Amino acid sequence: MRLLFLLISLFLCFTGIAQETEYQSLILDKSLTDNANAVVRLDEMKINLLATNKMLYEVRQVVTVLNKEGNSYATNRVAYDNERKIKSLDVFVYDKFGKELDHIKKKDFKDVSAADGFSLYTDDRLLVNRYTPTSYPYTISFNYTVETSDTGFFPPWYFLSNYKVSVEKSYYSISYANEQLKPEIKELNLASIEVSKKDEAGKIVYEAENIQAIKSESLGPAFRDVVPRLRVRLKKFNLKGEEAQVNDWKDMGVWMKNTLLKNRAILDDATIAKAKNLVAGVDDDLEKAKIIYKYVQDNTRYISVQIGIGGWKPISAIDVDRVKYGDCKGLSNYTYALLKAVGVQSYYTVIHAGNRQVDFDPDFAALQGNHAILAIPYNDTYYWIDCTSQVNPFGFVGNFTDNRKALVVKPEGGEIIKTVAYINEDNYQFTKALYSLNPSGSITGNANITTKGIQYDNRFKLERNTEDDVLKHYKSYWSNINNLKVGNYSFENDRDNVVFTETVDLSATNYASISGNRILFTVNTFNNNGYVPHRYRNRKLPFEIQRGFLDEDEFTIQLPDGYEIEAMPTEKTIDTDFGTYKVSFEKNSQTNSVVYKRKLLIKKGVYPKEKYAAYRDFRKQTARADDAQVVLVKK
Amino acid sequence: MIKFQNPLLVIIILITSAVSAQDFKFGKVSKEELQEEVHPIDSSAAAAVLYRKRSVHFKYVLNQGFNVHINVHERVKIYNQSGFKHATVIESLYKNGGDKENLSELKAFTYNLEGGAIKKQKLDKSGVFTTEASKNRSEKKFTLPNIKVGSVIEYQYKIVSPFFYSIDELVLQYDIPINSQKISIAVPEYFSFKPNVKGYLAVDPKYKTEFGTLKVATGKSLSGGVTSTKELRYSINVTNYDSKSIPALKEESHVNTMENYRSAVKYELKYTQYPESIRKDYTTTWEDVIKKIYDSKYFGDQLKISKYYKDDLEALVGASNGNKELMSAIFSFVQKRMTWNSINGYSTDKGVKEAYKEKSGNIADINLMLTSMLQKAGLDANPILVSTRNNGVPLFPTREGFNYVVASVQMDGETVLLDASNKYTKPNLLPTRALNWYGKLIKKDGAFSTVNLLPKKVSKENYSMSISLSENGDIEGKCRTTYSDYDAYMFRNNNASTEEEDYLEKLENKNAGMEISEYAVKNKMTIGKPIMESFAFNLESQADVIGGKIYFSPLFHMALTENPFKLEERQYPIDFTYPRQERYVMNIVLPEGYEVASKPEDVNMVLADNLGGFKYKIVENDKSLQVMVDFKINQAVISSLYYADLKELFKNAVEKQTEKVVLSKITSDGTSESSEGGR
Repeated sequence: MRLLFLLISLFLCFTGIAQETEYQSLILDKSLTDNANAVVRLDEMKINLLATNKMLYEVRQVVTVLNKEGNSYATNRVAYDNERKIKSLDVFVYDKFGKELDHIKKKDFKDVSAADGFSLYTDDRLLVNRYTPTSYPYTISFNYTVETSDTGFFPPWYFLSNYKVSVEKSYYSISYANEQLKPEIKELNLASIEVSKKDEAGKIVYEAENIQAIKSESLGPAFRDVVPRLRVRLKKFNLKGEEAQVNDWKDMGVWMKNTLLKNRAILDDATIAKAKNLVAGVDDDLEKAKIIYKYVQDNTRYISVQIGIGGWKPISAIDVDRVKYGDCKGLSNYTYALLKAVGVQSYYTVIHAGNRQVDFDPDFAALQGNHAILAIPYNDTYYWIDCTSQVNPFGFVGNFTDNRKALVVKPEGGEIIKTVAYINEDNYQFTKALYSLNPSGSITGNANITTKGIQYDNRFKLERNTEDDVLKHYKSYWSNINNLKVGNYSFENDRDNVVFTETVDLSATNYASISGNRILFTVNTFNNNGYVPHRYRNRKLPFEIQRGFLDEDEFTIQLPDGYEIEAMPTEKTIDTDFGTYKVSFEKNSQTNSVVYKRKLLIKKGVYPKEKYAAYRDFRKQTARADDAQVVLVKK
Repeated sequence: MIKFQNPLLVIIILITSAVSAQDFKFGKVSKEELQEEVHPIDSSAAAAVLYRKRSVHFKYVLNQGFNVHINVHERVKIYNQSGFKHATVIESLYKNGGDKENLSELKAFTYNLEGGAIKKQKLDKSGVFTTEASKNRSEKKFTLPNIKVGSVIEYQYKIVSPFFYSIDELVLQYDIPINSQKISIAVPEYFSFKPNVKGYLAVDPKYKTEFGTLKVATGKSLSGGVTSTKELRYSINVTNYDSKSIPALKEESHVNTMENYRSAVKYELKYTQYPESIRKDYTTTWEDVIKKIYDSKYFGDQLKISKYYKDDLEALVGASNGNKELMSAIFSFVQKRMTWNSINGYSTDKGVKEAYKEKSGNIADINLMLTSMLQKAGLDANPILVSTRNNGVPLFPTREGFNYVVASVQMDGETVLLDASNKYTKPNLLPTRALNWYGKLIKKDGAFSTVNLLPKKVSKENYSMSISLSENGDIEGKCRTTYSDYDAYMFRNNNASTEEEDYLEKLENKNAGMEISEYAVKNKMTIGKPIMESFAFNLESQADVIGGKIYFSPLFHMALTENPFKLEERQYPIDFTYPRQERYVMNIVLPEGYEVASKPEDVNMVLADNLGGFKYKIVENDKSLQVMVDFKINQAVISSLYYADLKELFKNAVEKQTEKVVLSKITSDGTSESSEGGR
């Protein structure tokens, strides 16, 4: 007994000493501290795959936090649910000499609901602990073991976890019990680092050392597109008790069809009759689909409830029909069922939604995505509908799910298909305005704005805003016009053609500045685009214009009597790789007015970092030209 | 002396509208209610409460005592899709140990008009959820089925609470209009509550007395079972807050927290007096509240412990000359030693001793430790209870009204405020979170006084620039900036851990993308001294060159071009956090061969009651212009009565700052076409 005790205490002493020397942070390699708020000393995940429904993983993450910006690492959290159990969990904190400051045990962690901010209810939970640092640098070591029966979401590997963080040592291993369990791995962006890889019987290991931090830059690519990482999948996996055998997306689609979507699209006879009644007399499938979509939009709302496999399985159509609400899966599946009832084919589609376009990888069939929509095939093309929106026109998905590869679940299996794209001229705005300038410097007039594509998406919700919010919108949209007063306004939303038209009467005092006998005013009153990209001393990443747009403007300005033009900007055309800018000024002495025409085209594209300065220069010139002034002088 | 207009004065008179007789019995939803398309008074309302009833009463349970029962009934009309969120209801329920609030008897229906007929649908179990939010809070949520534009929903439920000493605030105003409400509270004679009303709405309580009976045990068996009872008749004091047409609470900018302005009544328990028992006091007056806090082992007792810092304090005392130096030395010591764990509170978390050892703690751990050390060193130091900006203003004596504590020292007839929880504060400069009207200073004997926390000292940003303007409109030059007090505090908080390269990039982009070189900064981390930055820069296209003339606004990229106040009217005070001043002195060397054709006129605008002002002065010298701009807001919080004036001041400031100087070429005979300019 006594001996054992001695041994243990000796061992503890020994490890104590080892840690002290190991995790000092007085001397760190400069290549790791450059641009970094934290240095990950060790990032280690050891996965032990025992069966398709049994996996253990052991995580060890030791991070030296250099300043308060790196404090996100002082908050440690692990998620758990019915399938995912936390076996062990603790945190050690060391000072800069590597001396232990604190030891936080599993029982010290707070148990909280993993509220995602948009769900009414979720049964996922988290254990969380937050450490308060007292000085910098400090080192925090976070260790836990998880056992789970879910292997459908296989933990992927990121060699860098975030911007402004470097990694001293990264270690990822997967041990698998038999050859059938061997995971498939896809390497991404590994060129920028040196990785050693071992692939031996029953074990795969990836290791890398001294990975430097990267900084985020505006207009830069998504982090996931620059970070060295591994995508991992099992061909045979388990998701919340459902077994799957998936070689490719086709199989994935079949599996979804047979498990997650099975028997979900049943409706009662009364509802089927009602749906049929709605489309009575309509033959064309697309027209029928429009009617059904409108019915869903008018009769349901989005409420997210995630229980158990609910994260993947839609609530049944019959339940949605009863309560008239659901999440994206429930509402998509419900609409699918209604369309089916009226003989229109549609496909349940899993997608990665968000302003940033993220593709499903066609060669790598692994569970992913955060949203569900429907694809409706018609005349060799697809119409996409988002059933969680009560306002989108039929077939219009906006910047939430546009132009990206998604998994379309067809009866014969899954297929990766790209959604509708809105590019360059598609995102159109035309502003036609007429205003008169008074000798006092005030203006009165009206503007008419027509938008399409993503620009429509940015505007059409105005229709539903309260007057207060509409006025706030214009005051901020035309923040270049001080003392703006908005009078009557009206909107027209052409849902069939996806065109939104705003007509606004307005006035503003002191718009022009008076300087002695002269009146100076900016000609571009209604679409003054002052955007200039952020300046970088040393740009590191390429940049991207995700969608592009085209603006055209035509303003007629009635000049005050008794004044003549002393100076007027000249016509200008700037043509670049990134787009075109064109302005003209036309004087009409007869009516004493000026007609200003402007066109700004910004083109979608990915450009190398070397071109960033040129792009910035282009936008500087356009911003500058938008501010061009006309000078009037008293006759 | 500047007088504050009390923002919480009741100034709105209720508009009574002709609401036709409606039946508010549960389930009696009418066709008219379903057909209504917009709210008759507030057309912008996305939803409205047609009727709401909340009755609070006490029920006696033999052997348990009184429980509080709250009956809730609401009928809500949904006008459009933005109103759908009102079809989801969340009740937060408190629990403590084995005691907890319980929600029961939930009944809820959605009503829709279908083909001219009223169709109702019941909320079933699948729409009700319970989430354990934290150790002391759970949330009951429900969302109604079949919600459409035009739906009316109705629900009722009961909350039973054992916490009779802490009754939730009775909210009288929502973010949507309320057409009619009946709020009542019925209190047995054994309880004495004090109602505290807040907000902008007038309330009109009606009182009456009712009677009740209860059975009490008169005999008990050895095992505690009741063997005999008797009936007691007691009186109940009922207060009704019935009102109609309550407008929605609408958000405004520059407000610390809208909750300060929401109308509500808070019932604070003064005492209980049961028959044949002695009176038991609960907090009522500020004296009581403060005494309770002070007597707590997490507050007053924490001030008394001193052994843990004894040696460190002795060293500080030995090294300091005079009280002022001593105060500063102790303050910096605690400030340097301690790190705040981001948790507020006037009660210590770990306790001062443990916090001292661990070098981290909550607000009370840090500032009570500071107070104690100051006291021990012989200074006249006292804690001040504070409510943070987010917590609202403590209008009534309640313990929950406070959530923060700072230290203070009486010195030279002045109260010096101290908060060591931030690394960049100094004596008389509290973190902005604590700048919320008044605090309560507690003396050792339990006496207290009210202390104004709003800073009076003006924080300054001074810009001094020498610029040369080129013929093509580019500028280059040097800039010197100083930041004092809160401006320095903000600077340090924002930039302390930013690498210089990143900071310069930020600075360059803040300044229209200029290129900065020769950057130097002084006193960046020397708290108490103003920060001084200097750099050289060049920036393209800062003037318009049109038709041989050059036009520019002499503050260039620094000019304020947008009025932050856009609303026509405003109801609530404007909160600037602290008094501030921005000064610009620009020396502009004109391009060779040009002279001033015209320049803006000088102005000097002053707000009433010395609340602020804007001064603009431009002087032409040989080949150069000197511009001086001085923009001041002298008070941290300005009453909405001055809103129009303030908006006008900003409007004029924007106009003046964007006004142009016009330069023209000097003609060959040495005269320009304009006779303006010159002294």
